[in-house]
Amino acid sequence: MPLFVVKRDLPGVTPEILQSAGIRAKSCCAEITGEGQPVRWVRSFYLPETEQTHCYFEGVSKAVIEEANQRARIPFTGIVEVVEMTPEMV
Amino acid sequence: MIISDAELAASFAIFAAKQAGAEEVTPDHLLLGCLQTISRFGIATIGPWDLDLQQMGVDWIEPPDGARPKVAYSQGAVDLYDRAARIARSTGEKRVDVDHLLVAFAMEEDGLMGELKREYGITSASWRAALAHVRSGAAGTPAPAQAESEKKIAREYLTPEEAAEALGVHVQTMRAYIRSERLPAYRVAGERAIRILRTDLAKVLEPLGKER
Repeated sequence: MPLFVVKRDLPGVTPEILQSAGIRAKSCCAEITGEGQPVRWVRSFYLPETEQTHCYFEGVSKAVIEEANQRARIPFTGIVEVVEMTPEMV
Repeated sequence: MIISDAELAASFAIFAAKQAGAEEVTPDHLLLGCLQTISRFGIATIGPWDLDLQQMGVDWIEPPDGARPKVAYSQGAVDLYDRAARIARSTGEKRVDVDHLLVAFAMEEDGLMGELKREYGITSASWRAALAHVRSGAAGTPAPAQAESEKKIAREYLTPEEAAEALGVHVQTMRAYIRSERLPAYRVAGERAIRILRTDLAKVLEPLGKER
């Protein structure tokens, strides 16, 4: 499945808010997958210096990723498809 | 992937919202989801209160099929998740569990929680105390009833309740594994009773490395 990064600006975010968002993201992904459109939250990185979060999702389309984040009520500034590369791949 | 009780509660909450034809998952749906997660036979027991899900309009036996509207979390539900996460952190627990979500409702005076408070004479303190005892009762020296239960789960074939106890998950989680066919289950011939082979329990366990 294609991989996407969801970018968020979260000034003043706390670990608790990130954890709360994580549960909502997982439950909404499970729900949308159950509706027939596979989507999965893979992992997230928080960048303390810029107070941004990069959340990686697998899904059939950008629209599905957008829907999962909207349903979970987690704000975002953009969603773009990414190409994964790991040391094992080179 | 193993579903936590908090995720199961979220799943029930989403279903409750869909069942009600709502556009958003409200705090009421979230409370219903939490109660359904800890319930047995449609009754959620917290401290001295037996809360009847059926009376609250929940179809606890079998969720109806069919197309349902899409729902998003309401801001009220988001606030409760945030509060539950703060409660979990304040007690030094890394994960948000269903009891943290239930405790997060202690201060609520409106909606379903408000109705329950008025009907059962629940106060913020008595609700928190009841939930605190549920959690502390899970630790420490096994009570006689617990020792008996441990003896039962040493058998080769387990009931869903015993299997849930052996794995340390809620019985609704165990039923979800069975429904999704992640865990084989068997009917006793000619009976409604379901049994799970103890050695099959490992099938729902995954090494942590797989998540990385």
